[in-house]
Amino acid sequence: MSNPTVAEAWVAAPLTKLMEDARLISGVLLYPTGRAVGQFGFSNAADVMSICALTSAINASARELGRQLDGKPFYELHHAGAERQVFMARASAAGQEFLFVGVFDSESSLGVVEIYFGEFQKALEKLRPERQASVPIPAGDFEGELNRSLDALFGPIGKR
Amino acid sequence: MKSVTQIVASLSHVPGVVAAMIVGASDGLIVETSAMLNAEAGDTRKHTAALAAYLYSKVTRASDAARLGTPAFMRLEAEQGHICVVGARDVVLVTIVTPNANLGRVRLDMMTAAKGEA
Repeated sequence: MSNPTVAEAWVAAPLTKLMEDARLISGVLLYPTGRAVGQFGFSNAADVMSICALTSAINASARELGRQLDGKPFYELHHAGAERQVFMARASAAGQEFLFVGVFDSESSLGVVEIYFGEFQKALEKLRPERQASVPIPAGDFEGELNRSLDALFGPIGKR
Repeated sequence: MKSVTQIVASLSHVPGVVAAMIVGASDGLIVETSAMLNAEAGDTRKHTAALAAYLYSKVTRASDAARLGTPAFMRLEAEQGHICVVGARDVVLVTIVTPNANLGRVRLDMMTAAKGEA
């Protein structure tokens, strides 16, 4: 199992702990905009790019579906496949929302993943650094944000 | 056949049982649970359920590997008490038990309940 690669160093320790404790095969932590913060289990930037885009879209749809059906956004989503299962949930730290998507198999279970994700959330809340002044990014620059985060995780295109 | 609520209620009345739960064997999620006695230090049922089901699945693999067949009863002894687990097809029965409980009675009642559940 390879260590996570991260775009923001402070998430490395909690992400490693989550990966090991919950026995996840792969996972991505991202902002709701689709920008990746850290990942493990992937060696290909294109895979992470697809997952970020899909997770961001699924979160938006599920959030709206939750609002329509339950009056509030759904908190987590679980899909059990024949061999592998997907767990997707929101976490927040210092007012900033994050999305996490993880894949596991019969070596783990949904209950175990939920427990360690709860601990992961607490760790994020505790470790989140004060927000730094960031370079303003044009609103709606989804592709640009995604590419910048992939560069941080896998290196610039051509050097990957 | 008893309902899951009846099974949990019955097990939770055995002297020394702090909490009784029926937990999904594959997902580790609680199907039915009793209230937790003496939960001043916090309610840990969800954690216990998920980890006990996970542990039981590993014990089952170890038992298979040793060619012993399916485990009949699992008891984890700790400083402050015991966790007992019995498998019943798609679910596992889990109890959290005090150190001075009558473990023979707990074991018998759990095995009987598991037979009814299976």
